Amino acid sequence: MVPNGHPSRFRPALRTGQKFDASASDRPILVFENVYKAYRADQPVLRGTNLVIERGEFVFITGPSGSGKSTLLRMLYRAETVDDGRILFLGRDIARLTDDSVPMLRRNIGVVFQDFKLVPTWTVFDNVAVTLEVLGLPPRLIHTRVGEALERVGLSGRGPDRAGVLSGGEQQRVAIARAIVGEPALLLADEPTGNLDPLLATDILGLFEDIHATGTTVLFATHDRTLLDVRPRRVVVLDDGRAMDVPHGLGVEEDEESDDFGTSVEDYTPVEDCGLPLATPTGRLAVA
Amino acid sequence: MSTASRAWRGGRADWKLHVLSGFSLAVAFICLASALLVVFNLDSVRQRWSRAGRASIYLRDGATPQMVAELRSALDKTPGITGVRHVSQEDARQEVVGSSKDTTLAALPAEAFPASIEIDVASTMSAVDLAGITNSLKQIPAVESVETYEQYTTKLQGLMKAGLVASLVLSLIVLAAVVSVVGSTVRLALQRRRVEVDVLRLVGASEQYVRGPFVVEGTVLGAAGAASAVALLGLLYLIIRSHVAEVIAMMLGVEPTFLPWYAALGLIGFGAAIGAASSHFSLRRMVTV
Repeated sequence: MVPNGHPSRFRPALRTGQKFDASASDRPILVFENVYKAYRADQPVLRGTNLVIERGEFVFITGPSGSGKSTLLRMLYRAETVDDGRILFLGRDIARLTDDSVPMLRRNIGVVFQDFKLVPTWTVFDNVAVTLEVLGLPPRLIHTRVGEALERVGLSGRGPDRAGVLSGGEQQRVAIARAIVGEPALLLADEPTGNLDPLLATDILGLFEDIHATGTTVLFATHDRTLLDVRPRRVVVLDDGRAMDVPHGLGVEEDEESDDFGTSVEDYTPVEDCGLPLATPTGRLAVA
Repeated sequence: MSTASRAWRGGRADWKLHVLSGFSLAVAFICLASALLVVFNLDSVRQRWSRAGRASIYLRDGATPQMVAELRSALDKTPGITGVRHVSQEDARQEVVGSSKDTTLAALPAEAFPASIEIDVASTMSAVDLAGITNSLKQIPAVESVETYEQYTTKLQGLMKAGLVASLVLSLIVLAAVVSVVGSTVRLALQRRRVEVDVLRLVGASEQYVRGPFVVEGTVLGAAGAASAVALLGLLYLIIRSHVAEVIAMMLGVEPTFLPWYAALGLIGFGAAIGAASSHFSLRRMVTV
């Protein structure tokens, strides 16, 4: 990890025998190019979504239930595949990865879920350590790094506790520790506060912001409008298969033309209408 | 954490499931082990009765000592006969009754144990030559009958073949049972540990890493099922042996024996191999990254 807001040159986990391409660290971390996804032919979830996410960004993905927030995230760690278009992670087309390469992709991405996805019979330590065990790190290093990760999420000394006996907020902290212990380039949060009360939700959001402050790119999917108002962040609104990019966050002031999310339509940048190259919030041009 | 440690952690969490599956496997393997036990003992009997060729020449009750002496002398001079031994009625009775405490056996009259001349036949002697000698012996007035044990050996060989076929069929049935039980157990364990598998895939575990503990569990389950079967059969054997060993030894001339160590080990190895293979194939269809 790196000091506040200054991401280091990222070096991803690679398959044995593959050489690191230094230019990868200069590319946007994520590029969606005309991504199309449908579970039913007549009801596409994503219809030609274009999006560029730079390294070190914190982006909210929002939209009503069924708008494709989870699908969008699931496609990033190849739990789903795109029907059409491309998703580039550090310049690599995720859809074209071989089955053997998918685990390598996932080692560079941390994922946090609404239902925590912890193994309840395992200890807190085991739940976090699994990320590093998969990498084959030596036990001493695993012990140190898990301890650090638990400290970051405020669960210092809770390693021996069984995950199943923790409160919801604590379980989510364990899930976050598991997601960050491998120091991933990208952190995906799929409704991580959905099962938590508002106070805890804000608390967990703060944790993600702390992680983001160390240089990790965060994609935070939520339909909780109050979280979007905590701090102005880039927001991507998904609705009816279309993605709307709001670079400076949804305004708190609601005017007459605001939509269901209380967002002024004038604030929206309909990403699909921009054409390519796309203007990104950091001002870079993403050549798609 | 090593694959074995992860398998131990998973197996411990699902111990009830594994105990039940192990019991089912033990039942399947006990059938196979029993068939093997029968085959091994039949083989001992066959070896005992076909050993280096021998024959018994039973004498008539009226055979005089002179007739017996002449017969012994003639047999001594016959090529291919390596040993001649006269067994009197008293000797025969002593051989059969011996130190047995069976009162029924001891009460049998001396006539129930005919005198005989036991001959050892060279292993090089052909069946045709032995048949020729047998026919010649039957012409002698002092001779009641000649027993070459050929029919017993032939019958035993037939029994051996039947036993082997039965064992083969049983092994196929056991194979199907083990594949089914291990496959179901692994699939059930996989369902119960779905979250664990999801988490492993999520954090970038390879397919091999995810499957490893399940294959180890299947291997151990197969081996444990076979080992339990051998242990159970051993226990049953010890219980039954004390009651029937003497009778069997008297009837067949061979003490019953348990499975030799290499057969027991082979059975356990077979269980482990089948367990590993069936869990591997079950997982191949279910776990994809």
